[in-house]
Amino acid sequence: MKASREKITQPDKIDLPQMLDFYPLQDEKDTRISQFFKNLKTGQLTTTKCKTCGSVLWPPRVVCSGCMSEELEWVNLGTEGELYAFTEMKAGAPLGFEKDVPFCIGLVKIGSLLISSRIDEARYEDLKIGQRVHLKVVELEDDGRVFYRFKV
Amino acid sequence: MRKVAVIGGGATRCGKREATWRELVQEAGKAMFDSVENLSPKDVEALLVGAAQPERFTFQVHVAPLVAECLGITPTKVIATTELMCASGQAALRYAWACISSGICDVAVAFGVEKMYMRNMAEAQTNMTCVLDREWDGVNAMSAPPFFAMTAQRHIHEFGTTEEQMAMVSVKNHHYSTMNPLAQFQKEVSIEKVLQSFMIAPPLKLFDCSGITDGAAGVILVPAENATKYTDSPMLIAGSGQANIGNAVANLASISEWIPLKLAVKEALRSAKVSLADIDIAELHDCFTISEIMEYEAFGWCERGKGGKFIEDGGPYIGGTIAVNPRGGLLGCGHPLGATAILQSIDIMNQFQSEVPNGRLVKDADVAVAHNLSGAANVHSLMVYSRR
Ligand SMILES: [Zn+2]
Repeated sequence: MKASREKITQPDKIDLPQMLDFYPLQDEKDTRISQFFKNLKTGQLTTTKCKTCGSVLWPPRVVCSGCMSEELEWVNLGTEGELYAFTEMKAGAPLGFEKDVPFCIGLVKIGSLLISSRIDEARYEDLKIGQRVHLKVVELEDDGRVFYRFKV
Repeated sequence: MRKVAVIGGGATRCGKREATWRELVQEAGKAMFDSVENLSPKDVEALLVGAAQPERFTFQVHVAPLVAECLGITPTKVIATTELMCASGQAALRYAWACISSGICDVAVAFGVEKMYMRNMAEAQTNMTCVLDREWDGVNAMSAPPFFAMTAQRHIHEFGTTEEQMAMVSVKNHHYSTMNPLAQFQKEVSIEKVLQSFMIAPPLKLFDCSGITDGAAGVILVPAENATKYTDSPMLIAGSGQANIGNAVANLASISEWIPLKLAVKEALRSAKVSLADIDIAELHDCFTISEIMEYEAFGWCERGKGGKFIEDGGPYIGGTIAVNPRGGLLGCGHPLGATAILQSIDIMNQFQSEVPNGRLVKDADVAVAHNLSGAANVHSLMVYSRR
């Protein structure tokens, strides 16, 4: 007997699955550091500081990696930093960021912290090591999640 | 602790391969078993499979049993996949070595495999962006090229290293890979060609970066006292070292100096009871040209900040201070993540047996070191191999 045949289909497009979305979940029901994102919504870049040993922890934590204390408080990091290093993504961006190419990425020094960040509103040629950069908050249009960036 | 020997190994040709993940496994597995006598897959008691991201690149988890099934191996003592990103293959080697050396078993296979070419290469780039802390680094598109670009920028800024000196690393390793039939890249490059290649993330250009690569490789380990049952020229594992400080880019010990590598080197030399001067071959993790320059410094073949001058003066060539990457390195051979460390060990074994072309043979080599870094160069893994 001849094998039967049938044409089957798959969807043309699948929505960006959650695990390919780099922006973290921010709601209280998803994370214990939702305060970070609430603060960011009001224009404040904050992180956790250990009340027991004094360590300033980045990224924000719920347990101090210095002494295992859970007694942490939110501290304000201000809105300015110094550009420690930077580059420009000219190719090889991940899904979701391809439309932004080229864009700059840098390490921003704030006190003792070295924070990785997108550096907006500049091209590679415009930037210099040691330059002042300023906090910028970006908000996802579809669901209101926020993240920090810096700009010149 | 028992002394451990590598008695044989086999690998696929590396590159953009017209083969699936499991076909790469079969090619390398056959080559591995064909390389030894008096041993069949049924003799293998432990199987460790180094695979960095099979769940992302091929949408398959639980891969060690898949390798076992493809190769007719039925492990009776230990089976597991090992993941340590770019050092996943070395993780497999280390656990296979520990299995034999501790007496858990008498025959272990350390295997490594990665299939990195995907139909949508942006998806492959996405996979490489969840290596550092995805919520705090990945979200900024911080994958390997931008991270190592900033590393290079700091090295240039602090020590005056030049892009020409970085290009020289690529020239050297592509030169040696022209004499390696397994290598992804078979053509020489010039300093000009490297400097004029497509800018990926300044100051890194295309030829400053190792490739996206498909490949697989495996080696067989037994107690040294049993090695001559299978081969006349086994390679011994003399020692090892491994160190990790931090993970997210924010928490590294330093950007312009690889402190965990210095710690791992110290431990590797101590455990192998050798000095730096005893090492004849160094297979170093040149994922980017700047990496190799910083590795010359961390090992101590030159002073901190002088790695650029070291390559300019010919220090890392065969016949120089130390033969670095006579296999062709990751820059020349490609970097199939899980397979890389296994490919390094097979080539060192071939060197010890004088079974490589003259142009890249390190004559009378007795001691070799193989190095892999992973993540934001926060983890460094080393194995020391010896001919006797
Ligand atoms: Zn604390």
